[in-house]
Amino acid sequence: MNFDIVVVGGGPAGMAAAYSASEKGSKVLIVEREAKLGGILNQCIHNGFGLHYLGEELTGPEYADVWQKKLLKTKAKVLLSSVVTKIERLGDRNVVVHIKNSEGVSKIKTKAVVFSMGCREKPGSAINLCGTRPAGVFAAGEAQKLVNVHGKLVGKKVVILGSGDIGLIMARRMTCEGAKVVGVYEIMPKCGGLARNVAQCLNDFNIPLFLSTSIVKIVGDKRVSGVVVAPVNPDFSFDLTKQKLVKCDTVLLSVGLLPEIDVLNEFNLERSNVTNSVVVNQFYQTKIPEFFVCGNVLHVNDLVDNVTVESLEAGVCAANFAKTGKTTKKPIEVKLDKNIRYTSMKYVYKNTGSVTLCFRVSDEFKNAKIVAKSGEEIVASVFKPVVRAGQIEKIVVDTSKLKNDLNLCLEVA
Amino acid sequence: MKTFDVLIVGGGIIGTNLFSLLARNGVKVALLEKEDDICGLVSRANSGVIHAGYDPRPNTLMAKFNVEGTKMYPQMCKRLGVDFVSCGSLVVAKKEDKKKLEELLNRGKQNKVPDLEILGKKDLQKLEKNLADNIEFGLFAKTAGIVSPYEICVALAEEGVLNGGKVFLNFEVKLIEKQENGKFVLSNGKEEIAAKFVVNCAGQHAAKINDLAGAKHFKMNFVKGEYILLDKAEKGFVNRPVFPLPTEKGKGILANITTHGNILLGPTAFPCKLGDTSVTLEGINKIKQDVLASVKQPNFRKTIKLFAGVRVKSGSDFNISRDEKQKNFYYAVGVCSPGLSAAPAIAQHFLHLLKEDGLKTKKIIVKKRKPYTNTEKLSEKELDKLIKKNPNYGKVVCRCENISQGEILEALNSPLPAKNIDAIKRRLRPTMGRCQGSFCRPKLVKILSDFYKTKEEDVTLNGKGSEIVVGNIKGGIQ
Repeated sequence: MNFDIVVVGGGPAGMAAAYSASEKGSKVLIVEREAKLGGILNQCIHNGFGLHYLGEELTGPEYADVWQKKLLKTKAKVLLSSVVTKIERLGDRNVVVHIKNSEGVSKIKTKAVVFSMGCREKPGSAINLCGTRPAGVFAAGEAQKLVNVHGKLVGKKVVILGSGDIGLIMARRMTCEGAKVVGVYEIMPKCGGLARNVAQCLNDFNIPLFLSTSIVKIVGDKRVSGVVVAPVNPDFSFDLTKQKLVKCDTVLLSVGLLPEIDVLNEFNLERSNVTNSVVVNQFYQTKIPEFFVCGNVLHVNDLVDNVTVESLEAGVCAANFAKTGKTTKKPIEVKLDKNIRYTSMKYVYKNTGSVTLCFRVSDEFKNAKIVAKSGEEIVASVFKPVVRAGQIEKIVVDTSKLKNDLNLCLEVA
Repeated sequence: MKTFDVLIVGGGIIGTNLFSLLARNGVKVALLEKEDDICGLVSRANSGVIHAGYDPRPNTLMAKFNVEGTKMYPQMCKRLGVDFVSCGSLVVAKKEDKKKLEELLNRGKQNKVPDLEILGKKDLQKLEKNLADNIEFGLFAKTAGIVSPYEICVALAEEGVLNGGKVFLNFEVKLIEKQENGKFVLSNGKEEIAAKFVVNCAGQHAAKINDLAGAKHFKMNFVKGEYILLDKAEKGFVNRPVFPLPTEKGKGILANITTHGNILLGPTAFPCKLGDTSVTLEGINKIKQDVLASVKQPNFRKTIKLFAGVRVKSGSDFNISRDEKQKNFYYAVGVCSPGLSAAPAIAQHFLHLLKEDGLKTKKIIVKKRKPYTNTEKLSEKELDKLIKKNPNYGKVVCRCENISQGEILEALNSPLPAKNIDAIKRRLRPTMGRCQGSFCRPKLVKILSDFYKTKEEDVTLNGKGSEIVVGNIKGGIQ
């Protein structure tokens, strides 16, 4: 079977990329490992999806449904319950994707591949979570799946480690199901999730948030019986003089996401130490021109709306490349000052129209001016009364103004 | 009352070796294990190294059984259909420590270890790219290798069952009595099982079992060994176990591989209480620091699991014997490293003692264990053929380790069926990969509850009390 584009992963990113590529006239196949499209959206039964892009607040499954309907109106083919086991690049626009499902093993020839596999949750050990290893310790998203999809309660007295959005949302969800959430513990001095989630998920339910505090160790033999918590010093060591035992039967971990990019490990593509993913240019394209990357597997977004916007662009870029095979030469590296953690795109090109750079700042800043400089000239700037590390920020740069460099800086006015 | 010729207490590496050996020799044998699966504690979490045998002091049981056992491993693994990675091992040293390496080499020669060689920097670099800069010499032991200790225990137990042996899980021996006819009766408080011979291979509970039987009393010490496991993406950081020079406290913290391609760093050696496998920050920091004596900085950002095992000690040597007071009672007490390497030879030794004491063996037609399908090892053509025959092999349950529903069903239908999530893990590795089960654990709960026709609430991580979910949500399930 031959396609122009194979999209790996049928979550919000994959659906948007497949949709836009298909609309551009490409012959698209989307490969999804689960039995239905939508990815993690299917377990996110809370609302708040689509506010920016669709102008209405939907639940996760509803948002997925909107895009699935759009996608099914195109000519894109969907392959469910199927995994990509291997990718081979044979030459210019000549890629073979190996697929396994309950019908067997097949090979699909394609001109380009869009990688949109999303993330996995960081396990406790990855953040040096010590103690015993009993039942009752869950990644927050895993618990979300058990509760919302399997209809199963995972525990009755819950401690949550990490104040990322999944942790906050699960704090509310567990409370609504009758569990007692005794606290959300965050090692950093600031909450990791969106402000609206702190208000709606913690404050409205009187769930305490303990900042600069973390779990020293898990306690319990067969099932969790508690956690020892302690404040952390500025160097992130524990202040063990103030440690105490908090009794609970469940620990949910919301301690970060890692890109599910491992199918690309063998290609030795340039990586980012911040996102842990591969880096792309303004066309969402890697050093291997046939490979495009978008959505949370590229960088963890705050809102699904941003994933959709980014992935629609990536789909168009992949479609253009599949059609023409054209690549742009002489990349300009986007250089960042210390206040900016990363940009979704590392390389841009002169005279390629306007490009939207998504980025995250390293801390909370008030009256922040974000400036894009090329040569001595300011080519774009944005003013924000407040920027936070948890949120994605954007700046639009006109590439016709570029000299031979691009520096992104955050200045506090 | 169920009666056997031989009862083995404890389903670790020695117990399962002896179990399989006796079953294959036509002996009516049963294995009593206190946990919900075999390979419960000591044998489960260790470095998986089959040591060449240069380390134990000459003329000890450790030296004898280590060298004999290691010789048996390649053939045994082949028979069982489990991996033996014949990678050799390295002990590395700085320039000024060459003498200590030579001492080890000489000890190895006294222990009759074949194929030992001290290599210089140039040859070392051909074997390992990431040795610490100040490493000048290394003792290369070609006969050493790597196994998966829990896979071997499972395979041996299955082989024993296939050949007529019986396994009793969740059977904690609480009482041992001797009847007038000389037979032992072992009870867990509910059920009694009798046998003429009893072999105590109870790991960290071995001293207690000896006491219950009125056999020789031992004082045991427990030593915790913590480990850091890295993602398979780090494969090649080292290609074999790389040891520092051994000290009084043990073999030190090594940079090691697993049979599945992960990098394994550890163990620490802290005195601990019975059963304490908790991981400490102190231990993790010690590994991170001490491993740098032998290798360059590992990529700890790729840590996927911290875990710990317990080593048991009683005196400076293994205590493996027939009891002097209690006739027809045998014990293996304080079998620490190199116990994994020594286990097949220890089992042979027990068989020898049992036969001396009147155990009758008979020739049977030995049934060969069928290893689990490993779809990752099949060519695409073979896999395609298999899936067309049975579509379950195309349904991926564990995405990180690429394990299909078909493989998992094999573990549930095996001669010693997996009854909980950890038991499936030890047979096939789901929940052991880079996501540590956050994607597949909910699926495994469902698979286990469907297979055993129980509620999902009854599915456990590793036996009663370790249930994963506690009930339905308020609205119930559609």
